[in-house]
Amino acid sequence: MKSVAIIGVGQTHHARRRTDVTQIGLAREAALRALEDANLTIDDIDSIVVCTGPVLFAAVNQPEKWLVDALGARMKPVVRVTSGGGTGLAGALAAVNQIRGGFAERVLVVAYDKLSEGALQYSISTLYDPFWGREFAVGIMGFSAAAWRGRMGRLGHTEEAAAMVSVKNHKNAFLNEYAHVRRDVSVEDVLNSRPLCWPIKLLDVPPISDGACAVVLSSGDIGEKSENPAWIRGMSYYSEADNAANRSTIQSEPLEIAARHVYAEAGITNPRRQVDVVEVQEPYTCFELSYYESLGLCEPGGAAALMASGATQIDGDIPVNASGGCMGANPIGATGLIRLAEVAQQVRGKAGEHQIDGAKVGLMQAGGGWANLRGVAVVSSQKG
Amino acid sequence: MTRITTGIDQAPALETSLEMPYTLTTGKAVSVFIEQLGHGVIVGSHCDNCDRTVVPAQDYCARCGGDQGATVAVEPTGVVTAITRTADGAVGLIRLDGVDADLLHVIDESAGEVAVGDRVEATFAPEPVGTILTLAGFAPSTSAVSTTAPKEIDEVADEDLAKQIIYSLSLPYRHAYGPNYGRLFDELGSRGGILGSRCPHCQNVLVPPRAYCEICYVKTEQFVEVKDTGRLQAFSVIHMEFIGQTRKPPYVYAEIVLDGASTRLIHNVAGIDMARATEVLDIGTPVRAVWKAESERNGTLDDIDYFEPIPE
Ligand SMILES: [Zn+2]
Ligand SMILES: [Zn+2]
Repeated sequence: MKSVAIIGVGQTHHARRRTDVTQIGLAREAALRALEDANLTIDDIDSIVVCTGPVLFAAVNQPEKWLVDALGARMKPVVRVTSGGGTGLAGALAAVNQIRGGFAERVLVVAYDKLSEGALQYSISTLYDPFWGREFAVGIMGFSAAAWRGRMGRLGHTEEAAAMVSVKNHKNAFLNEYAHVRRDVSVEDVLNSRPLCWPIKLLDVPPISDGACAVVLSSGDIGEKSENPAWIRGMSYYSEADNAANRSTIQSEPLEIAARHVYAEAGITNPRRQVDVVEVQEPYTCFELSYYESLGLCEPGGAAALMASGATQIDGDIPVNASGGCMGANPIGATGLIRLAEVAQQVRGKAGEHQIDGAKVGLMQAGGGWANLRGVAVVSSQKG
Repeated sequence: MTRITTGIDQAPALETSLEMPYTLTTGKAVSVFIEQLGHGVIVGSHCDNCDRTVVPAQDYCARCGGDQGATVAVEPTGVVTAITRTADGAVGLIRLDGVDADLLHVIDESAGEVAVGDRVEATFAPEPVGTILTLAGFAPSTSAVSTTAPKEIDEVADEDLAKQIIYSLSLPYRHAYGPNYGRLFDELGSRGGILGSRCPHCQNVLVPPRAYCEICYVKTEQFVEVKDTGRLQAFSVIHMEFIGQTRKPPYVYAEIVLDGASTRLIHNVAGIDMARATEVLDIGTPVRAVWKAESERNGTLDDIDYFEPIPE
């Protein structure tokens, strides 16, 4: 398979509400930062992939046609990819495939959402079909909380274990200059916070954010000439049918499949030992516990113990969300790409205050839909 | 909120609507444009790189992607480059004097038809309305082509700018039931029966019924009635309030596997002391449907008022 490199990364300083820019202005900020990091201009870019969540989030249909103006992308190929919380990763995969297919040498992926503008949970509830379930939907939170309640007894994903995820990610966000939520919280604070969709409580939930992220991907030849590339060593995105017979609410089958494929591609047989840094897209704390197991960082049912052991802390042997993850900022359409950008910056040694010393191999996860669309990528400082 | 109706093709359809509220951010250039319209001034932006002026003012040049240079006041006169007529009146493209792109707006034909090539002049609403409609439209004019170059305007004080505008989308839909949902909701509405379809390969019963089994990908061949009792597969106690919510918290969001089904049904559990919901309910708790009075049913899932635990 042809090699693909990440040669430029940029993100905005995320915020609860950015009143100084339009949605395209927000996306443009990240794009210009990524181009600058890659030492390129838009003229050097062959193709652009725009990533946003559902258009109901911000009322502009086909926003990519508006973004053409703000990027100077006229007369270039522009497509939009959307896949809920996994949108940014799905967009990056589209770019990787354009390069692997030989259709482009340099692709700019721009991912954003301006969630302050619309009614978030109401918009998400429209993921349900109008006949069956929409009237009972509570965005994705009701569904996620119910699935967590199911995992509690079977896998021991307790409220305390999830609270520890919240404490860790909130603490790590202090080290991330782009995060907009930096809060000192204790396990007790999380457990005592207001229930939203029990067992999910206020401090299990990431913020609602305005933000954008952009990544420049290139062919292997260009990556070789780049000063400080991060190499894509594997990337996959899989789905399962939402309401098929006997669908498991306990383990995510598509995530396990995606991880298996990516590990095989990257030559990883023991992720806990071979990976230096992990970023997961955790829309709620309970998901991070579940991902530990699906990604093979521990055995099924081992997530609470892994969390309690301190291994996933920033100074642990397998740090997860050193950036603070979604807890620091969660612009949904950008979140998946932010996770990829963060691991890329880690292996490039450019993660800033939350840099893990000597990180060479990074693993990231993102997904969307009814937790039925799941993707994984591995990046490395080595081309392989 | 939803009801069965008869569509224009005589097939039943489900009518729904989404009422979505928004607060949209205008960006600097558009907020200056809207503010200046209140003073009777039409503002564009000039890209120094491309040497082009566009109206309304934009934050970025659509031609080169660069930051716009000066914010400029343009003449309120121009020429019609295209026109079309709707039931509500005429709209057209207007090329303002000294500007390099067309502006889409209302054309006032109250004094007679306007044609492409005609000169027009801006008319303003009596009071600013906070949108582009402060510029009411364009009416025929005897003005000569202005040769005055667009002039840079003074910086507008930040506190005078409205950075966000309130907006809403009202989206009506008519969803076709198709044969599977049609049969399901007919049976549900007429006699309270809940149907699934059986996969001839894996024998699983899929509720709601569907044409294909997602796992085997073979055609289902048979409708099967399942019970209105089942077990909780997952649940959550909803305390959160949000726009578009159809129930008042607290309530229980539940995923129920009905007896005889292999898939989940999303509904609510009630008839319990909500303060003790997390103690009363468990994964696997048996539940049964509580139906609404027959007179209140309309052939939707709402015909089941809620599910309640079956006492041991
Ligand atoms: Zn220009
Ligand atoms: Zn089957």
